[in-house]
Amino acid sequence: MPNKNYILLLTLLLVGQLSFAQNKRKVSFVGGARSVMSNNQLGVADTSGIADTATAKRNSGGYALIDLGVNIRPNENTEILGMFRIRNDFGGFWGAGVSFDVRQLYIKGIVANALRYQLGDLNLKQTPFTLYNHHADNVDSLPTIFRLQRNIVDYEKFYMDNTWRMQGANVDFGLTFKDYIQEVNFTGFLTRLNATNFTSVPERLMAGGSVELKQSQHFKIGYNVNSVFDVLGTIPDSNTFNNSVHSLDAQFVTTVGGQQLEVKAELGNSHYSYRLDTLAPTLQDYFAHAYASIGLPKYHLRARLGYLNVGPEYRSIGAQSKDIDYNAQPFYYERYTNTQGIRPLGLLDVIASDQLYNRTLSSRLMPANNLFNNAMPYGLATFNRLGAYGEVSYQKDIQATVSYHSLREIKGQGTLALRNFSILRANVTAPLHNYLDLKNTFEIQLGGKLENVNRSSVDIVDNLDFNNRQLTAGVRLEVFKDFDILGGLVLNNTKGNDFIADRNTYTEVTFFNEQQYDIRQQLQGAGIRYNFSPKVYLLGMYQQGVFTDVRKQQADYTFNQFNIIYNMLF
Amino acid sequence: MKYTTIILFFLSLSVLSSCTKNTDEFDGPSIKELYSDFKVLENFGANRDSVDFANGETVVFTAAFNKTVDWTLTITGNQSGAVKIITGTSRKLDASNASWNGTVTMFPMFKEENCTAQLTIDQVTDTFTVSEKIISRRKLDGFIIADFETGLLPGWTKFIQSGANMDFQVKTDSIAPEGNSYLNMAGTVNWDYLIGLIDFKATAYGSGTNIVFPLNANPDAVYFNCLIYGMPNTNTSLVLFQFTEDENEDGTFNANTEDQYDYQATVDWVGWKLISIKYSDMTSLVNGQPATPKGNGLHEPNKLRQISMLLLANPSMGFASSKLDLVIFTENGPLTP
Repeated sequence: MPNKNYILLLTLLLVGQLSFAQNKRKVSFVGGARSVMSNNQLGVADTSGIADTATAKRNSGGYALIDLGVNIRPNENTEILGMFRIRNDFGGFWGAGVSFDVRQLYIKGIVANALRYQLGDLNLKQTPFTLYNHHADNVDSLPTIFRLQRNIVDYEKFYMDNTWRMQGANVDFGLTFKDYIQEVNFTGFLTRLNATNFTSVPERLMAGGSVELKQSQHFKIGYNVNSVFDVLGTIPDSNTFNNSVHSLDAQFVTTVGGQQLEVKAELGNSHYSYRLDTLAPTLQDYFAHAYASIGLPKYHLRARLGYLNVGPEYRSIGAQSKDIDYNAQPFYYERYTNTQGIRPLGLLDVIASDQLYNRTLSSRLMPANNLFNNAMPYGLATFNRLGAYGEVSYQKDIQATVSYHSLREIKGQGTLALRNFSILRANVTAPLHNYLDLKNTFEIQLGGKLENVNRSSVDIVDNLDFNNRQLTAGVRLEVFKDFDILGGLVLNNTKGNDFIADRNTYTEVTFFNEQQYDIRQQLQGAGIRYNFSPKVYLLGMYQQGVFTDVRKQQADYTFNQFNIIYNMLF
Repeated sequence: MKYTTIILFFLSLSVLSSCTKNTDEFDGPSIKELYSDFKVLENFGANRDSVDFANGETVVFTAAFNKTVDWTLTITGNQSGAVKIITGTSRKLDASNASWNGTVTMFPMFKEENCTAQLTIDQVTDTFTVSEKIISRRKLDGFIIADFETGLLPGWTKFIQSGANMDFQVKTDSIAPEGNSYLNMAGTVNWDYLIGLIDFKATAYGSGTNIVFPLNANPDAVYFNCLIYGMPNTNTSLVLFQFTEDENEDGTFNANTEDQYDYQATVDWVGWKLISIKYSDMTSLVNGQPATPKGNGLHEPNKLRQISMLLLANPSMGFASSKLDLVIFTENGPLTP
């Protein structure tokens, strides 16, 4: 009984405090809530021809969670955000399956009306070659029905555009000038990549910064540095690691004959070494990236022509960390077949399984997966690439983009012959309701990607020809106000051969595994969504992922999933 | 200005394009090597068909393949049965990985004899052989205390218990790991651990006037080596070496005021085995247990006056036997047989 009195008193005090605070607008709440219920079914066609009796084919599960963030502004120059997560996995009983976590925490503010700072959780990015989350394997033009699931992954992992979520401190400030130079902006950060265990894992930090000199609205130039390093003395071993990247970038924007012209270039180098390890190589290389872009507002067109040169030994932990970890295991059906082998990841996993994604940088070079990206697995920062690309986009009510990359290796892999890469992408989103004179939204999305990797050598054994063809189609039909019918299809066919490099801890190639592909993947889904508001929806959907290995190296499977998702942001 | 910028941009691109590295190297192992069938590009051979090891000659075996392979080169003495094994992982056999200077991997040591070198390659059924003749054996670099080729030296003293089946004789037969002779030690002494001993005195060498052995003063540079034979199906023997130093160089050893260091080998193996120990790693033993030296406590190999070799065995166990050959001091490293 006394406990109940305490709780009542505490509640009254809290409500009173919040009311007071809200009157002063010093405290506000942010966050989100979500509930997911899913029913799953797996079909397996074992290569042995014997029915898979070892895998439980059906399961269901789900969770409900709420992220409650308290944004406190004790004064006009300070902001504190603390966000808690309460999650309850369905099926938990008397607290089992319930977790209570701190999801994010930071303090930010302004010192002397000049210097901005943030401590705690940070979302950081610099340039595509120094610190950048490329999301290189994302499916282009993802249909809305799948995009909704992907948005959940982005929310879970704090993916905001191309930032990485890190913990540390960030400061920035700027100086303005009367003559010659408009302003100079400085940014600096220090974050921790991993904590020491005092025996074998050293304290690893990332420090970096940028200086941007803005001469006018037309021209600016900047210097960026990003360094990952081990702190000497945090473990007995003095063999510390260092990876530093420096770059200069410049941008020129003007109008030529009424057309908007932008020229941008970045040039830099990297250094990757271990202090005492005699087996470790010292890798040093440079990159250069430049593009010219012209906009034709009259025709709603913009065209870009770019040049890319990233050296074979260019290493940048900040820019070459992948968001997806192909060594991670999906939440559902990690193993299958009678031998309980690891189930190969399919489109459904890659799009919707947040367990596969990293929240922050990886301090090792992460593996690529040819089924999803062979030509540029680390985005623009993919090392050992040289070539050009072009892109034309049309942005009116119809939004369309066509791009083509033509690249080659700079240094051969296992042979002096070089691999050639080409990527052709085309995506269009069309609001058909404008053309059919419909009151409600009727939108279709179409996309395609053709990726080819080939190598021709005097030694036939070196030759390779690899093709990845991806097709996406999506539809969104608003049958009543705020009531959408969604449908989507993604096809991904991979055929050909390639040699997959095994790399040691120093990222050196130690072996090439010959791999033959003839894999067909298909993801299709349909659902109904009700939008309570732009930030709140309820979705019922069914989706099916099909993975077929024509060569029967891996067992085929079909993954059926029915989901009910309620999602809210506030 | 605008057009100048555009021109400069494309000029910069041209310059950047021309900066591209043209490399004649590639990353990782050769795919051609990894994924093509094995072929011999250069036949297995040797740079000479006879070799004079005593004059510093070496044999270089050569071969070349189309891919990197794990190979084993086994050189066998046709008369002695001595075996030298060299292994490697490479595309080529050459001076960097397949040179032979007369050393041995498995005892006995090579004699002046004909040898057969056989090359085997992992996952390749064919084997390749060449013949080689040893004109002279390799010289052993060190101070030889005993090789028993001329029997027991007159300056040595020995003591042998009067047990049963006692044999403390130099023998000459094919078991000898080095040369033709070795010391055979055997017997049953059921009242004492000691079966027999030999004192190798410094005065037994050279002109007979040596008080101490002519060794380097640095105990970290001096290594004591010997070959000990473990008999199969016989009770475990102990071979104890005692190193007595004449610290005051008066020609005698005082057990109460001068250092004695010891090394004891428990012969629990079968066949010949090389024992090597750095002089500075030796300890003083009393009844097999570490003890404090009685002298200045410094390892002084340049003041070593006598080495005693004792064959010991548990008296309750009965017959014990072992063999000894090539007792030698080397400098800056263990003996390379």
